[in-house]
Amino acid sequence: MRTRQTLLTLSTLLVFSAVMFAGTVNGKVTYTGTPAKPKPIDMSKEPSCAKQHATPITTESVVTGPDNALENVVVYVSSGAPDDGQVPPQAVTFDQKGCQYVPHVLVMHTDQELKIVNDDQTSHNIHPLSKVNVEWNKSQPPGTPPITTKYDKPEFISVKCNIHPWMHGEFAVLKTNHFDVSKGSGTFSLPNLPPGKYTLTAWQEDYGVQTADVTITGNETKEVNFTFKAKAY
Amino acid sequence: MYKWFANGADRTRKSWVRPVVTCALLMLAIVIGDCRAVSALPTRKVMAIPAFARKYGLPCSACHTAWPELNNFGKVFQDNGYQLMNDRDSLIWQNPSYFPITFRITPNWHRESTGDQPVDSIPGGGTGSTIISRNVTQAAFDLSGMDLWSAGTIYKNISFVLLPSSDATAVWHFESAFLRFDNIKGSSWLNFKFGRFELDNLISEKRFLFLSANGGFYQTYHFNVPGSINDFGIGDNQIGVELMGHNADSSTRYSIALLSSNEGGTNLTESNLPGGLPSNRSFDGYMAFTKSFNAGSWGYEEFQAYAYVGQRGTYYQTTSAGGGGPVPLVALGNEPFYRVGFAGQLHFKNLELLPYFMHGHDSAYLGTGLPDTAGLPIGAKAPTFNGGFIEGQYFVNPQLVFFGRFEKIGVTQQAFVNEGAVPGNFGDVTAYSVGYRYYPIMFSRGGVAWHNEYSISKSIGIVPLSGDGSGLPPLLPTNGVWSSSVFIGFDFDF
Amino acid sequence: MNRLKPMRFIATAIVGAVFCATFATSVLAQAPDVPQVGPLQKLQVKHMESHIGNITGSSENAKTNYRRYCVGCHGDYGDGNGENAVWLDPKPRDFTIATFKCRSTLTGTLPTDEDLFNTIARGLTNSNMPIWNHLSKQERADLVAYIKIFSPRWDKEKAGTPITVPPEPPVTLESISHGEALFTKLECWKCHGPHGEGDGPSASTLTDSQNNPIRPYNFALGGNDSRFKCGSTNQDIYKIFMTGVDGTPMPSFADVIQPNDAWDLVHFLRTLQIHRKSKENDVLMAAHGVIPPYVDKTPAPAPAAPADNKSPGGGQ
Repeated sequence: MRTRQTLLTLSTLLVFSAVMFAGTVNGKVTYTGTPAKPKPIDMSKEPSCAKQHATPITTESVVTGPDNALENVVVYVSSGAPDDGQVPPQAVTFDQKGCQYVPHVLVMHTDQELKIVNDDQTSHNIHPLSKVNVEWNKSQPPGTPPITTKYDKPEFISVKCNIHPWMHGEFAVLKTNHFDVSKGSGTFSLPNLPPGKYTLTAWQEDYGVQTADVTITGNETKEVNFTFKAKAY
Repeated sequence: MYKWFANGADRTRKSWVRPVVTCALLMLAIVIGDCRAVSALPTRKVMAIPAFARKYGLPCSACHTAWPELNNFGKVFQDNGYQLMNDRDSLIWQNPSYFPITFRITPNWHRESTGDQPVDSIPGGGTGSTIISRNVTQAAFDLSGMDLWSAGTIYKNISFVLLPSSDATAVWHFESAFLRFDNIKGSSWLNFKFGRFELDNLISEKRFLFLSANGGFYQTYHFNVPGSINDFGIGDNQIGVELMGHNADSSTRYSIALLSSNEGGTNLTESNLPGGLPSNRSFDGYMAFTKSFNAGSWGYEEFQAYAYVGQRGTYYQTTSAGGGGPVPLVALGNEPFYRVGFAGQLHFKNLELLPYFMHGHDSAYLGTGLPDTAGLPIGAKAPTFNGGFIEGQYFVNPQLVFFGRFEKIGVTQQAFVNEGAVPGNFGDVTAYSVGYRYYPIMFSRGGVAWHNEYSISKSIGIVPLSGDGSGLPPLLPTNGVWSSSVFIGFDFDF
Repeated sequence: MNRLKPMRFIATAIVGAVFCATFATSVLAQAPDVPQVGPLQKLQVKHMESHIGNITGSSENAKTNYRRYCVGCHGDYGDGNGENAVWLDPKPRDFTIATFKCRSTLTGTLPTDEDLFNTIARGLTNSNMPIWNHLSKQERADLVAYIKIFSPRWDKEKAGTPITVPPEPPVTLESISHGEALFTKLECWKCHGPHGEGDGPSASTLTDSQNNPIRPYNFALGGNDSRFKCGSTNQDIYKIFMTGVDGTPMPSFADVIQPNDAWDLVHFLRTLQIHRKSKENDVLMAAHGVIPPYVDKTPAPAPAAPADNKSPGGGQ
């Protein structure tokens, strides 16, 4: 009787503590120096897309915000996280719209279902240039069903369409569910981190990676900022 | 063999044989040890070059068992008109700085020794000096001749070779120069060659592994019954046209050539060097049929049957109008000759055997030295001979090859001019050759081979075909003239 | 004379020894273990097998042949960095990634042993890959096994399942016209151009997966003997666009074409090879008296890309 009671109390306490003791890491990704000016994209070769953009869109390899903020930076826990291997059941979607990839950077867990959709009037071919995962190349004419696939190894994969050479996107295939992509303000947030020692990695497709170590002891909020050195070209 | 090495079957060889052979064996040991250490070679980017390797990016070993000898892939490449047949052969696909030229020469040290040579008993001749038979030996560092070989494609399915070649004193001649229309009407069975070229011999003398004076040619390819005025050699490049065909992998091939009866001569003479005698106006013909069979893991086995039919003039139209004796203008009185036989190229994994047989027959007139306007002297018979060789090559790996050859020619009917004055085996030749080549680099832009060879021939009563010695026949027609060559050199091309 | 003999012996022996020493040092100085970049590691040839028909190839038996024939382009480590690779276009295959152009399996999957076997025997037109048809079947099978040692993918993945190529329907004018409609609808002309001459609006910007410029296939180039990289029969064309040419911009259309439609497209593509005698061209000739007679239904492409200094014909 007493043992069962103790066990019940202990387990409740543990669960409670797990829920109770979960920290958050917030931060901002910024750059120093002067980044290259984003170039406007000429879509005249694909009139059906060109007319979808009143003003031409610009290249998206480096997207900046106010106060030197950097958008589209993937921040994730690269070591120390306990829940590797939990594949989210829902699919992530990569959309081709207006001859642009939406989102520009798509993060997914290894083995998570990826759905690729063509919302344009023109054919695209999806050609993710993976080096660690298998490389494949499929044609997706307008009105055809989404392509579903998945990647089984972590990798940052450059995605292109050969027919429309300006189209460029990135897949970030990660082994962890603790990730975020910095928004226009450069801010990111990694909640639900149990106590532990973690290494955070921030990845920007042109500027490379930055790492930072952070330790969570309870349910505090820690602030970790990343600063990238901008390249002029 | 060992006794010969230890004691010397002949005192002319005893003194130097052992140190040289020991040296060669020593080098061999080093080479074999060196080879073991090299299995996956690194490569160097050096800016100097061999034309086909450079054009296509293939290493030399892709086309050559051990250059210059061709392997089957190289033969198919050659048969296709030096084309890989991927629509990338035309020169327009090459960088403008590409030039289809290769240079080749072999600086060497060699020793020539010939016995039974007529020499003066007192050097310098003088009172009381008589002609005696002695050994003549010469040795020195030397150069070989040089090949300035240019070959390739002018356009898709039009290929060429231009090969000016010099002897060691830089006297130049055109060894080959021809244009070839390949794959006429889109068929590999029709290829037309025009110019001066090597006959379609299965066992090519131009692309073989021997370099010494006594070993660097096949005796059978240049033999004529002594006394016959025939000058033909099947190993000499001839001049004319050739129609040739092959299937896709060259396992079945035929060739038919129509040649001038001038031994590949130029300037309407019978020589491609200045000063040759005028040639006749007739034609020779050559036919060869080749078939190869895939013998599984052994490799392939190839056989060729060939026949050469030719004519040579027996007298000249002359003029004495210029004073100072009759000047020959054109050869007349053509009399025929033929050479027939077979050749083989047999592979047994790393061992390659090359058997060859030839039966030669000259018209009886050619053996009399008389114009054929007169009747044939009584008892004049057609000079004939049988000859052949068996050559073996052992490829330890693409960088090391051992080779050896045994050759024998027997005159079966002497020429009329010698009838009764010479023994039955007058003119017979026996020849042996042995050696190895080591290629320290395997590279597509240049090649070096370290070449070691020992060759020895015995010719009965005649000047050795190598020309070694005094260049004069021995004192007695029964003398077996031994002539040996030792050759050590670096054969390189780029 | 007799007094001189021992002297002569000694003299020759000394000379011989000097020669030996000179030659030894000169040959060993040529000793080819000069590293090019970094330390040279001996390549471990692990045991891999290939199965083509009833022939089994094994990698150990191909070591000498690979060294003899393949290394100049594909490199000692199979990474496409042979000594001549810098001067070649297209670049030699990098076996370490195990992405191959000519397969009968779906995009992203490994080719079958037979695919590799056939590629070796057939060579690759418009490239520097020779036609190795002189190699025996066993030798080719051994080389296929040898290629597999360079990439770890062969250990873990199985080769893809070959796609089924249904029997070819007869060549009719309807088939060719329908193929032409598909060519327009699937936007093949965006790269290949409206007449398949490799001059589509996107043609000049194409790069392969290694970022090297690449041109789309020009159907109109070449004579009666023109081939495709991956074969020369109608079945081969079918497989090319149904499996995609991996490593290049040419995608797989397997998800978007039905087999019958695919055959119609094959028949139409043959008519783009205007210099090649084919049944398809005969049908067109019989119907219209001239090839190509098709009406240009494709939308007008954007102004042509500026002329570049590439070799004529644009063969890739």
